Amino acid sequence: MSKAIGIIACNYRTDSLLGIAMDRPIAAVPFGGRYRLMDFALSNMVNSGLRTVGIITPHLYRPILDHLGAGKDWYLDRKTGGMFILPGTRHGIYPRYRKFALKDFVKNIEFLERDNADTIIISGCNNIFNLDYTSVLRNHEEKEADLTLIYKELDLEVEEDSYGVVLKVDENNQVVGLEGVQSQVSKNVKYFADLIIMKTKLLRDILKGHEDNDDMDLMDVLEENIQSLKILACPISGYFGRIFSIQSYFQRSMDMLNPSVRDELFMGTYRIHTKIKDNPPTKYGAWSSIKDSLVSSGCTIHGNVTRSILFRGVQVEAEARVSNCIIMQNCVIGKGAVLENVILDKHGQINTKSVIKGKNNLPVVLNKCSVV
Amino acid sequence: MLRNRCIAMLLAGGQGSRLGCLTRNIAKPAVSFGGKYRIIDFSLSNCVNSNLDTVGVLTQYKPFVLNSYLGIGSAWDLDYSRGGVHILPPFVGEQGGRWYKGTANAIYQNIDFINYYNPEYVLIISGDHIYKMNYTDMIHSHQEKKADVTISVLPVAPEEASRFGIVTTDEDSKITKFTEKPSQPDSNLASMGIYLFNWSLLKKALLDDETDSKSDNDFGKNVIPRLLEQKKNLYAYWFEGYWKDVGTIESYYDANMELLNDKPEFDIFDTTTRVFSNSDILPPQYLGTKAKVRNCVISNGCTILGEVVNSIVAPGVYIGEGSKVENSLLLPNSKISNESWVRKSIIGEHAVIGSYSSIGIKTGSNPRQAGITVIEDNIIIEEDSLVEEGKNVYRNLGNLRSLRREEGIG
Repeated sequence: MSKAIGIIACNYRTDSLLGIAMDRPIAAVPFGGRYRLMDFALSNMVNSGLRTVGIITPHLYRPILDHLGAGKDWYLDRKTGGMFILPGTRHGIYPRYRKFALKDFVKNIEFLERDNADTIIISGCNNIFNLDYTSVLRNHEEKEADLTLIYKELDLEVEEDSYGVVLKVDENNQVVGLEGVQSQVSKNVKYFADLIIMKTKLLRDILKGHEDNDDMDLMDVLEENIQSLKILACPISGYFGRIFSIQSYFQRSMDMLNPSVRDELFMGTYRIHTKIKDNPPTKYGAWSSIKDSLVSSGCTIHGNVTRSILFRGVQVEAEARVSNCIIMQNCVIGKGAVLENVILDKHGQINTKSVIKGKNNLPVVLNKCSVV
Repeated sequence: MLRNRCIAMLLAGGQGSRLGCLTRNIAKPAVSFGGKYRIIDFSLSNCVNSNLDTVGVLTQYKPFVLNSYLGIGSAWDLDYSRGGVHILPPFVGEQGGRWYKGTANAIYQNIDFINYYNPEYVLIISGDHIYKMNYTDMIHSHQEKKADVTISVLPVAPEEASRFGIVTTDEDSKITKFTEKPSQPDSNLASMGIYLFNWSLLKKALLDDETDSKSDNDFGKNVIPRLLEQKKNLYAYWFEGYWKDVGTIESYYDANMELLNDKPEFDIFDTTTRVFSNSDILPPQYLGTKAKVRNCVISNGCTILGEVVNSIVAPGVYIGEGSKVENSLLLPNSKISNESWVRKSIIGEHAVIGSYSSIGIKTGSNPRQAGITVIEDNIIIEEDSLVEEGKNVYRNLGNLRSLRREEGIG
């Protein structure tokens, strides 16, 4: 395998995920029944043969460490390389949507100096995709690029993800500009996927050059030097889910009910790894009715569930009706309760005959350990 | 506390020939059970939950699936630098080598392994049994009674007694008589095949047994009776709880189906003592818009588009649209294509049932009385096939009567 190492930047926040990202970093937001958002970025690196991955943690990193442990479930408990926790800095008034703060890299520069890998993959932590980097890395090396920025071509709706970055690309597939997301509908934009492949030496040079000036973001440095660097653009062809708001979280979650998305993300050669919990299988009672839903292990279901995502260890008691909901780990839905368009965070308890209804596309969010 | 004072030797070499085509490709301990588990998971998890962290697994019959499933034992938290899981196949030495002849001979051949750890006690267990047990209690009982050997026992139905090693004890639980598979059992107290030995005594007993050319080198038949003759202190440890040796297709099927009861006697859903397993990396299960699932146990990675009733579904199974599965066990990664009907059957791992097929009992016959149909691992049943009740389909034996849909199924 190519000598590449990885860094996953998790030291950023978003204001728009409401309760589900209040007590936890965005990287650790539960997704798709048994995963956390960072599982995708991490699994992609491991599946592409990377054996050294650093994780820049935010200040509130207990949920991340709890999830990762020693990295065993990602095969990153290695004698050579493996998983490294790189404590991020506190950002003060630095804009929270910025993802690649130089400060975080500077403080952990030893990680970059210790390994002699030529290439580094830097990834955000809140996109849903399954990508083998092998061919991108090969292309990056063959073309002798300084950097490769990976993008997804998509249509942007109005008023969404104002923090995204769009690439301007010339006919040679070279990036000539970085733009913010426009506030109008835009078709076929090259949306930056928070994925950077670069020479490790270049990153070290940038960090050394900005030692006294590390309040910048890596993207700002790239923008400043866009003329002098050879930056290639490379597309992702498969499914790419962006999570930047509670609506997008809800919609991307419901995308997992689509068989082709599920096959592509989870059933191919490269699997998405996550923390293994050794739950028993799920048990369905004699009067249960489940339709169009994703159900994780360890659940007990006696009620009705439609078009919902149930995480591990959820209990749905008899006559309860759950539709269009995301029910996280170990929640209990009491007898006869009705939930519609609800995101119920971990350990939630819905008492007998409670009724909670959100609007379609505007789900009610109940925080961790809620009792209703 | 018990680290290396006691090590476990897990016998996993048996074929389990009465399980027919379920064990044609894999050893019995590797056979799927309860959806996501394999039979060996229960004994191994018992070891972990009893703080026994050194387990020798003796393998012999078709060990590939078992070996790759066990790996270095990390799925059971048994990857230690000193101790952990050791796979112990038969091997050759200067005097040549030979297969494990009986249970005692298998341990005899691994005396060097046990000597390496030089434990005080050796726990002999089997990889074919379904139960949850904390061996610590048994070890305590062994210490209290100052026993040489402790045998775990439980009462069985009198009509079944002749299948087991039958134990007679005095009022202090001291064993006075042990008969392997007696034709006229005089007690209904059965040995569970779980023996706790003082290692010094076991070593001597194994060396003795090897010198006896007439011996079958079996614990139940030879070693235990001889120790009784020698007036050693053998005690019974009364186990309370669920224990089953799923020896036949019928008992295997029934033991699985019992998990569907409201309060199953063997509770895999009780998370206070977890059963660990080495599962594939799979997403949650998906139930389609037309899925109907009633009284089932379903595992990760399944896609259920049809109807499933009273069934156990292992990881990675696909059930197509319009298909109906009733009273069946679907083993890992099997696939039921569209518009098929599967009743009271066991569908082997990676087996594929083509569309418009009917597997199992006839319409109108009583499912309780009907025989179980077994489709072997990796078999592909073509479209429009009819496999009748009670048949076992083996490789290259597909003389199946082709049947059109109009002729009355589905």
